[in-house]
Amino acid sequence: MNNSKWDDRTIAAASSSVIIVGALLYYWVGEVQSTVELLELAYGSFKFFNNPMIF
Amino acid sequence: MLSNFLSNYRSVAGLIFVVLAIVLVEFFEVRTSVYPSLLPFFEWLKYSSWIGYLGITYGSIYATIQAVHLISMAIIGGTVLVTDLRLLGVLLKDIPSETITKGTHQCFKYSLSVAIATGIFCAAGVADKVYYMSVFWIKMLALLVGSCFMFFIKQPLLNSRSHSEIDPWILRILAVASITIWFTVAATGRWIGFS
Amino acid sequence: MINELLLQFAQYLEAQEYSQMLVSGYYSWNWLEATHVLTLMISIGSLFIIDFRMLGWVLPGVSATTIADRLHKPMIIGFVIMFITGILLVYAKPVENVQSLWFRIKMILLVLAFINAWVFNSRMRAADGTWESARVAPKALRTGAIISLSLWCGVVAMGRFIPYDWVDCPKVSNTALLWASGCVEQLNAL
Repeated sequence: MNNSKWDDRTIAAASSSVIIVGALLYYWVGEVQSTVELLELAYGSFKFFNNPMIF
Repeated sequence: MLSNFLSNYRSVAGLIFVVLAIVLVEFFEVRTSVYPSLLPFFEWLKYSSWIGYLGITYGSIYATIQAVHLISMAIIGGTVLVTDLRLLGVLLKDIPSETITKGTHQCFKYSLSVAIATGIFCAAGVADKVYYMSVFWIKMLALLVGSCFMFFIKQPLLNSRSHSEIDPWILRILAVASITIWFTVAATGRWIGFS
Repeated sequence: MINELLLQFAQYLEAQEYSQMLVSGYYSWNWLEATHVLTLMISIGSLFIIDFRMLGWVLPGVSATTIADRLHKPMIIGFVIMFITGILLVYAKPVENVQSLWFRIKMILLVLAFINAWVFNSRMRAADGTWESARVAPKALRTGAIISLSLWCGVVAMGRFIPYDWVDCPKVSNTALLWASGCVEQLNAL
């Protein structure tokens, strides 16, 4: 099998990489969404400087 | 046929087993039932273990170990970036990627060992706090996945043959997965301090 | 005198609206600090690989000057991000930083690290190319690498110590320490 381009190690590397990148993208996009939602809920809008001094 | 598959595709079989195990653990709610039984261990770690005692009693020792943890994180980041940006063809293009992969791995292993040892010490000092933090558990999961990916998937493939024999897209996705997983380990670690 | 001037300048900065906005933002402080810390992986990560190569600990088969040359750009990018976020972090809490012993030591170590980097660079360029492919660099460059590693470890450690209050002005009674930390009020009260 080692002579084939798509051997055991290659398939495992490609599929695990896709799973990891997919899972992490899902996680980070979810984090960004919940952060934006939280700030919008607290201050009515999303800004880098969202803080109690400037509503 | 199954034995033939298992002998020819050991890594793939291992990966399928891990993914299935994760799905089953979630489906049968094993994680949620095991979670409460871990609390006594975390309480012991903070209040009864000598590392917990040292961390709570001597703030200067705790802060120094935190600094060592940060430095080892920086070295891990350096080796990961150099290796993966080379695989992506961004850095050190005139040096063979096989040389870079082999030449930085030892340093990565040492710095990861130091990061884990100092990380256990740092976690012990605030064990009763981190137990309740989802970001801590995400970091632990990312660390476990990142280490397994590095030692059982990425290095075995990259060391098994010349990189010119590997599809460039596989090298790229390997590098992207590696950078994102180690970034996640570091970023979630920093967020533990803010939570 | 210098302590009074620094404190006045810090108080002037702290009174500014943007300084207060940065520190009281829901996430702005955390994002800034997280970026500052995570960029260590680019700046110090690249720098340590260069230093480690000089000592023969990584990539012994690759020319040391090639490593130093190729990692120069990412290292500079990392340090630029660190300086920008670092300046903003100081701007957010100027009085606290100006009166922090750790911050002051960190700044001194930073200056020393840059002098060392400058000396190291000129030595590396002045040296003939015969050693480049050797497993370890000549003694002068190895010494420079060890000094660089030590100074940057010190910079990171001092940065980590800044949030701790062991030697904050109200907790100190030693005059020399008060002067070194810039505790103007406490010194005047003595």
